[in-house]
Amino acid sequence: MAANYDVLIIGSGAAGGMAAWVLARAGARCLMLDAGPLMDYDKQRVMKAVCDLPYRGFGRPGRFPHITQASEFDANLWADEKQNPYTYEPQDPYYWVRIRAVGGRTLRWGRASWRLSDYEFKCGDHDGFGDNWPLSYADVAPYYDRVEPMFHVTGRNEGLPQLPDGKLIPDNSRDPQSVQRFIDACTRKGIPTTKSRRAMGTLASSANLLLPQALDSGNLTLTPNAVVREITVDPGTGLADGALFVDRRSRREYHARASIVVLGASTLESTRILLNSKSRLHPNGLGNSSGVLGHYLFDQFYVKNVVVAVVPEARGGKGSRGLMGGGGYIPRFRNLKSKEKNFLRGYACDFGGGFTPAAKYFPLYGGELLRELEDVADAGFSLTTMGESLPRFEHQVRIHPDLKDEWGMPALHITQKYTDNEYKMAKDSMETAAQLCQDARFQVIATHAQMAPPGESIHELGTCRMGSNPKTSVLNRWNQSHDVKNLFVVDGGSFVSGGVQNPTLTILALSMRAGEYIVARRRAGEL
Amino acid sequence: MQTILAAPAMPAAAQSTSSPAQPAEAETPKLAETAPDAVAGVVRRFFTAEQWAAFEKLAELIVPKFGDRPGAAEAEAAGFLDFLIGVSAPERQALYREGLDRLNADARKRYGRPFAQVSPAEAKPVLKPVTEAWTYHPPQDALARFLREAKEDLMQATVNSRQYREAVSGRRRSAAGLGAYWLPLD
Repeated sequence: MAANYDVLIIGSGAAGGMAAWVLARAGARCLMLDAGPLMDYDKQRVMKAVCDLPYRGFGRPGRFPHITQASEFDANLWADEKQNPYTYEPQDPYYWVRIRAVGGRTLRWGRASWRLSDYEFKCGDHDGFGDNWPLSYADVAPYYDRVEPMFHVTGRNEGLPQLPDGKLIPDNSRDPQSVQRFIDACTRKGIPTTKSRRAMGTLASSANLLLPQALDSGNLTLTPNAVVREITVDPGTGLADGALFVDRRSRREYHARASIVVLGASTLESTRILLNSKSRLHPNGLGNSSGVLGHYLFDQFYVKNVVVAVVPEARGGKGSRGLMGGGGYIPRFRNLKSKEKNFLRGYACDFGGGFTPAAKYFPLYGGELLRELEDVADAGFSLTTMGESLPRFEHQVRIHPDLKDEWGMPALHITQKYTDNEYKMAKDSMETAAQLCQDARFQVIATHAQMAPPGESIHELGTCRMGSNPKTSVLNRWNQSHDVKNLFVVDGGSFVSGGVQNPTLTILALSMRAGEYIVARRRAGEL
Repeated sequence: MQTILAAPAMPAAAQSTSSPAQPAEAETPKLAETAPDAVAGVVRRFFTAEQWAAFEKLAELIVPKFGDRPGAAEAEAAGFLDFLIGVSAPERQALYREGLDRLNADARKRYGRPFAQVSPAEAKPVLKPVTEAWTYHPPQDALARFLREAKEDLMQATVNSRQYREAVSGRRRSAAGLGAYWLPLD
């Protein structure tokens, strides 16, 4: 008979990987299941020229209607949308972007690593909208302190209350003149800027930074290709006792047994597993006595290339390294002290230069177009807005009544749309960014405020939120189910609000914190 | 995105000096291969003869040869797009078909000839929508929408072509369109 593990960890990305890193190294016997295969970067990737790809880099039409990030080069890495279907109301599209492989989306994340602040953790106190988290920045800060060095995060501390300082590898690089001009324009308007904060290294993934050490402990068993369908419950105690899973290739069913279950399958996949785990004791899904499971879905909205500009001095091939290249980040600056705008919360912007703007922006064709593109080669400067979307109860996922994925697991129906608050914010960001570019004496060639559909930022959060009241939340402040004390959800599902900061660093910190809580409670004999 | 060079299997001799060297024939030889569009021509499947003639003309006008860089004609961009549009969603197919029909109708109305037979100067008023300022939302007019999409598609099909790569390779890596390709999973 198969072993009964101490901890079953579902998912191997940032959340599951960090849980395994803590628990296995602390002596807990862990089984990790991941729905995808184990990738081999050396054997599964080959260098190719785009002209040698079957679709000249366009990709097979219709293969990824919702994954704008997929290219023909990496198409095989993204989760297939036909095997993994989901639905939404036609007028409110949702872009669900998944990677099913060991390491999860940390194989391809943007690596931006920002801390949340008490503007997020105590957001309800600040402006009266929504709920506070059941913890504060001071509770999470010690974990951020440890995660940043593990992921080799570079950046520059600014002492800003909305963007807490980190344990960073200092980035003291000199800004090219164009970036300096833009920063000066921001400073004149009282808008803060800083260096990007990013995890460095050839790969900055759970697959190379977390899982190897967890496996080295001898306490982690990693089983890829295991598509978890349901968490099982002991009918006597109501506690989780393992999971039913299906082998991705053979479709054979298995049951893995464990004393503690840690879900880190990603925000929506974890919630989907819980909603699909119905039993006599948990008729509405596991850990859902509150009825809140699946609700309060949010993310960050993106306005990609909200402003595209040309640095005039860089035209004609004069975009030297001293002038062009580089970039930075505008942290949230709106509504910090008082409500100053017609919207709540705020947005951040990435900015950078040194690229050639796309042909579409120039109202030309033929030789005139090609001459213009030659002239503006490497002279482009652009901004992208990342704005807070407000968590709302009515934005939710539920189980589709009929539709199932290729492994027989009921699919999700997703309901999220951006509201007036997000639209107003997007417009303000466009106007502000254009003004800043003009102040920096850049030539603005295109602006827009059209948000990508919800989900497209790949920052989906909520649906399994934490809180101090078991009637209005699913998890407590330790990412532990209020209803089922040996069940933990350590991914982005636990977020109560998300600010504008890319969430991975916080997911890592919270998973580390939950993992150490489990270790302590086991030692105390409580789990 | 970082790129990692493909790592070919290490030669046996380099793996260990103590183990006996494998005979060369025991290794799978690496054979040089060539993609089909380098050895064979275009078979038109999707556009009608008249749409095709207009499209080739449009391709030449939008992306001409530029210095030592091939244009859409040299890159066989129209032929590639005949294939790509032919396997695309019906809406995209309709956009292209209607757009090319509109080009021909417009040229006939103005000059009594199909678009393929107009001079670059005569084409100018027909292609006016391309010279209108970019907006995020696609234009209402079907011809304007088509021209906007065709301009982007023709540019990309040209820049991503073998002919373009051969012309610019050695200039810089990114221009040669190299990338790390993920093989299919099992």
